Amino acid sequence: MKSLIAFVCLVAAVNYCCADHVCGPLQRLKVKRQWAEAYGCGNRREEFGHFIWAQVFKEAPAARDMFKRVRGDNIYTPAFRAHATRVLGGLDMCVALLDEEPVLNTQLAHLAGQHSTRGVEAAHYETFEHCVMLGIEHEIGSEVFDQDAWKPCLKVITGGIQG
Amino acid sequence: PGLASNSCTTEDRREMQLMWSNVWSAQFTGRRLAIAQAVFKDLFAHVPAAVDLFKNVNGENVDSNAFKAHCIRVVNGLDSAIGLLSDPSTLNEQLSHLATQHKARSGVSKAGFAAIAQSFLRVMPQVASCFNPDAWSRCFNRITEGMTDGLPA
Repeated sequence: MKSLIAFVCLVAAVNYCCADHVCGPLQRLKVKRQWAEAYGCGNRREEFGHFIWAQVFKEAPAARDMFKRVRGDNIYTPAFRAHATRVLGGLDMCVALLDEEPVLNTQLAHLAGQHSTRGVEAAHYETFEHCVMLGIEHEIGSEVFDQDAWKPCLKVITGGIQG
Repeated sequence: PGLASNSCTTEDRREMQLMWSNVWSAQFTGRRLAIAQAVFKDLFAHVPAAVDLFKNVNGENVDSNAFKAHCIRVVNGLDSAIGLLSDPSTLNEQLSHLATQHKARSGVSKAGFAAIAQSFLRVMPQVASCFNPDAWSRCFNRITEGMTDGLPA
């Protein structure tokens, strides 16, 4: 009986540990490394951005309306590609600053100011997080993609933008 | 264009992207801030009056979090543009977006961009090995020409 209780406690402890992932210092380093690999440089970035936004609008077709000013109706246009570049550039800044927390928080506050009037809902951020993770996995491969690091660390970023 | 043309060629673009990606990747902790701050410190040392343009991001204190975050945004903007040199039509959209953002800031001029271009030329060789100033300058100018469209001289 004692060993059963010990076993149950162990299972509970394991579940607790793994249901409660944190964006700790090690996770931040891993995310930075995996992001750098996925984001790359030059041309490949546009394919990366295209993959993410195609996924976003597949999961949330109505979200296109929020991007009228930058041709959200057609993500193949230079106007939308430039927009996607800006979004990924913004995400790149945040990821790069994950280990410079005071500067990261200043930057997140800046991004929060840019988003506060746009009517972005919590569910939109969740869709975006999910699609970014799909994009990362697509670039670096499912064998190495660390979801337990990405999920909480992306939350740090989108949570900050939501203010 | 002839051989002595000032245009940013495909070879120049590739070279600039390589020089840049070797110093600016997200994985290098602290490196970005060091480079971005060095550029602005150099700018302010050469053009002291420029400090006033960055009042709302605490330009008087280059080590403040507000100014560090600003430095990162500016050089990240350059990073996006360098990446887009591979796709001129998207680059043009992005540069006109940046031009609009700069037109809204009074005191920002073409001469200001020429000054920060010089700062990059002084900072980059210190951090990038095998730096090619000619290719860098041609492509840097390609970017700033689009960004300064409509700004005062």
